[in-house]
Amino acid sequence: MIALVRFRIAGYVRSHRALQPLIGLLPLLAILYAAPVPAGQEIGATADSAGILIPVFAWAARGLLDSEPDEQRMISITAAGRREIISGILAVYAFDLGLAAIAEAALLARLSSGPSPVVLLTGVCLHFLAVTAGVALGALTSRPILPSPAVSSLVLIFGYLAMLLLSASGARWLTVPVLTWMKDGHHGVLLDNLPGLAAWSLLWPVVGLAAYAWLRRTRP
Amino acid sequence: MRLSNLSFRYGRRDPWVLSGVRLAFDPGDVVEVVGPNGTGKSTLLRLLAGLLRPVKGAIEERPGTVGYAPERFPADQPFTVAAYLRHMADIRRVNPARIGEWTERLGMDHLLGRRLPELSKGSAHKVGLVQALVCEPGLLILDEPFAGLDAATRAELPRIIGEVSARGGIVVVSDHQGGLRTFPAIRRHEVRDGSVRDLPAEAVSAHAPVSGAATPTDTPTHDAPPAEAATRHAPAAEVAAGNAPADDAGDSAPVTVLEVAVAAPKAAELADRLRAEGHAVRVTREAAR
Repeated sequence: MIALVRFRIAGYVRSHRALQPLIGLLPLLAILYAAPVPAGQEIGATADSAGILIPVFAWAARGLLDSEPDEQRMISITAAGRREIISGILAVYAFDLGLAAIAEAALLARLSSGPSPVVLLTGVCLHFLAVTAGVALGALTSRPILPSPAVSSLVLIFGYLAMLLLSASGARWLTVPVLTWMKDGHHGVLLDNLPGLAAWSLLWPVVGLAAYAWLRRTRP
Repeated sequence: MRLSNLSFRYGRRDPWVLSGVRLAFDPGDVVEVVGPNGTGKSTLLRLLAGLLRPVKGAIEERPGTVGYAPERFPADQPFTVAAYLRHMADIRRVNPARIGEWTERLGMDHLLGRRLPELSKGSAHKVGLVQALVCEPGLLILDEPFAGLDAATRAELPRIIGEVSARGGIVVVSDHQGGLRTFPAIRRHEVRDGSVRDLPAEAVSAHAPVSGAATPTDTPTHDAPPAEAATRHAPAAEVAAGNAPADDAGDSAPVTVLEVAVAAPKAAELADRLRAEGHAVRVTREAAR
């Protein structure tokens, strides 16, 4: 399975499609960190970064899963069986975690005071949750699930917007609580609420990835 | 491997592509799937390969190692031939040294450094064949494997299929090119109107389209009327391509006499090529001028 993960990442990177998510990532980082992060705002800044980068992670996930031709995916399925689905998810996770590392490095470089271990760990945790949400959204909008590129792009964009709107509403339990991360981060209560928020934030992406695996049974 | 009452359709509102199919394959079987375009041959092959799941019924006892060469090899990938095949060998957990054996056998060593998108259709098709063969499949699925291949590979492929079969592998082929018409002990099934039925061996020659035997890479000039050629059961292009050389057919194989009209400047070359492939060639009428 690791060989298939390597093959898919190599295909994505060599095709130069891997540069496309950077078009979203780098300008966002430039805007987020145009000014240094003031002391005391580190947790809020890391929550903002994680929440805002979800569509970038989703875009990269969808791009990587769609970069290989349909017939190649079928060859991979005959070679690896149902592990092909898992290998795709692992490849996407690996690539998105690389993007998250760039975002984390940019954040740490723009902190006014030195990063504390708590800030560092909170950043890693929130970006991992953001990557998981992005992977699920990207997988559910990939070509085997939504063959039309236009429909797929719209579902990805509006899926993220729905996530934001729902998490600001009374029905926020229905989605990944992105705005709750940001709000709690800026009000200094994120660390207290983090275990519950993390479990809640993982629930829907796990449901999404399970739905992706289930749908792929009949969509090679 | 058994197909028990298998039915398939792509969506709930779509018509059934296959309905109530019952088939059994024993180790060593070589099966040709024939039928008009769009009747479900590729769908049947994808079901056999495990790429699609039956809507009803089941496929049981599928061999563990499946080799699948699609009709169109996906050449739009950013790898050289060598890098791509190395990746495939790694995924299959096969010794990469085996790649060289197959690329040499299919006459494509010179392509190893070429990028996949630069390959011609036939060369890309060979890459698809190598990735399917390198894993020593227990079930080999070939979708139109003869399309675009050069004469030498067209002659070699039936031998390779024979070897997979001799090893106990099941080979299932969809073929409009008639490349396995002379293959001994082949089973033929026709996909038509959602069902799959056995075909008697002698029915297949007439079934395969005569024009389909010709490919852009190996088409000699031939003026034989299609009906006449079909009656004789051997289109000119197939013999000219060396698909059934005399040493393969055996001494007792029936002989078909073809009339081939060829442009005068190319006649000597074609005659030499056919003789080199073991066919008897006699020039019956030369150009008047």
